Amino acid sequence: MTEKTSAGAVKKQSWVKYQKPNVEVTLALLPPALFGVYNFGWRALLVILVAQVFGFATEFAFVYRQKKPVTAAVFVTSMLFALIMPPTIPLWIVAVGVVFAVTFGKMVFGGFGQNPFNPAMTGRAFVYISFPVAMTARWSQAADLWPRGLDNYLVDALTGATPLTAGAQGAPVPYWQAFFGFTGGSIGETSFLLIALGGAYILYKKYANWRIVVATAGTAIVLQTILYLTDNFGLTDHHAVDPLYMTLTGGFGLGVFYMATDPVSSASTDTGRWIYGAIIGVATVVIRSFGNFPEGFMFAVLLGNTFAPIVDHTVRERNKAKRAAAALRKGATT
Amino acid sequence: MGYAAEFSKGIIKENPVFKLVLGMCPTLAVTTSAENGIGMGLAAMFVLVCSNAIVSLIRNIVPGKVRIPVFIVVIASFVTIVDLTMNAFFHPLHKALGLFIPLIVVNCIILGRAEAFANRNPVLASIVDGLGMGIGFTLALFILGSVRELLGNGTILGVNILGAALSAAGMTFSPVIVMILPPGAFIALGLILGVINRMRRAEA
Repeated sequence: MTEKTSAGAVKKQSWVKYQKPNVEVTLALLPPALFGVYNFGWRALLVILVAQVFGFATEFAFVYRQKKPVTAAVFVTSMLFALIMPPTIPLWIVAVGVVFAVTFGKMVFGGFGQNPFNPAMTGRAFVYISFPVAMTARWSQAADLWPRGLDNYLVDALTGATPLTAGAQGAPVPYWQAFFGFTGGSIGETSFLLIALGGAYILYKKYANWRIVVATAGTAIVLQTILYLTDNFGLTDHHAVDPLYMTLTGGFGLGVFYMATDPVSSASTDTGRWIYGAIIGVATVVIRSFGNFPEGFMFAVLLGNTFAPIVDHTVRERNKAKRAAAALRKGATT
Repeated sequence: MGYAAEFSKGIIKENPVFKLVLGMCPTLAVTTSAENGIGMGLAAMFVLVCSNAIVSLIRNIVPGKVRIPVFIVVIASFVTIVDLTMNAFFHPLHKALGLFIPLIVVNCIILGRAEAFANRNPVLASIVDGLGMGIGFTLALFILGSVRELLGNGTILGVNILGAALSAAGMTFSPVIVMILPPGAFIALGLILGVINRMRRAEA
């Protein structure tokens, strides 16, 4: 994900450029992915495989003629894209979405490292707007505890609510269920525990920047707390869920740890990262509470990506001006 | 240049949308269907031909300093004619195009041709130029509208193509809704421009 590692020695004519951070981020995503298979049935594995195959093939088609290797980043993009699909999603939509994500989210801008937007989020936005029924109508529900999905192709799909929409309708699922992930939802978003464990690992290895995680989660939690309290004191009527529930449900965990922190499309100055995270946090809560869409994280990340370059630019200019002023003062005193 | 060359340059070589990338506002906004594209293109073509003719006729008596306001008044008159005529005879189309018909006044293709061509050339050449440019504009809008309508609705000019083909193959068609929304206009235009540039490069 960073230039540092892309210099890592790779044999010539290799098909895949080994990027340690991206490979490890993909591995960190495996527990929620496998839990998705356990939770929803073998079809979830099929969705993940389809996304990986088509994602790889798309990047390969672009880099083949330039005789360049496919970057390992495409595995992260495809994995994230698959994890935020509902388990009932038609496979052709997965294929179309991931091809769009890699083509228009990354390759048209010049390939790895050049994309202004997070490719997985770009692909999901495309699919979400284009095929709203397939994306939102049917969710596999949580059923028995063992063997759950493992002896099923797909756990019975119902027109039902996810914990996110259930909370908004005033019928939240128990916290422990949302925390461990025994609920309906997208394939890899249900288990906050597994996502946070992987997230802690990539934070520890510095593949994700902690400032973005703290800023995004912090602003969202503060803002949600304010909404929750004003609701409780009867000042407002937003049906705001409590901040803990907000954190545990929907794509919040995946978004905070994996989407917002994408080093290519996020801000790259330290001050900029705080501002960038705050934009995403505020936008998420605002869209979830006041918007037409149940989940706001996707649009929030895309918004944050939009502002990241100008935030960075402003921070850099200010730093330059500060340094120049300091140098001037120093020159004046000596 | 002969009349044939003046006519044909607007269609391919100097196509206002695909080569000059002018008039993007109506191009992106109204091409949600092939029919809207043709309607918008023809309306603009009428204004373009008439305003080119009038501008060419009065080019020697208009003082250079006030030529732009004069051109705009000429263009606005013809836009009003188009607006009222379409409202009377093609009411549904007029409703679909809405605000973008009055906005033809500020379409930079029309003012651009008045300034760059009709202001310096005789009447007949100006009319031929306007026709060629107008056809080029209409063609571009039709192509863009067809692509978006085909993917976003499965039809072209209301004829069910993609849906029928897929159901013949035993599948159901799900429209790619984003293609008839504003982002679809940018995606489709970008792809078409890419294909055309690629073809040009192959020729050269």
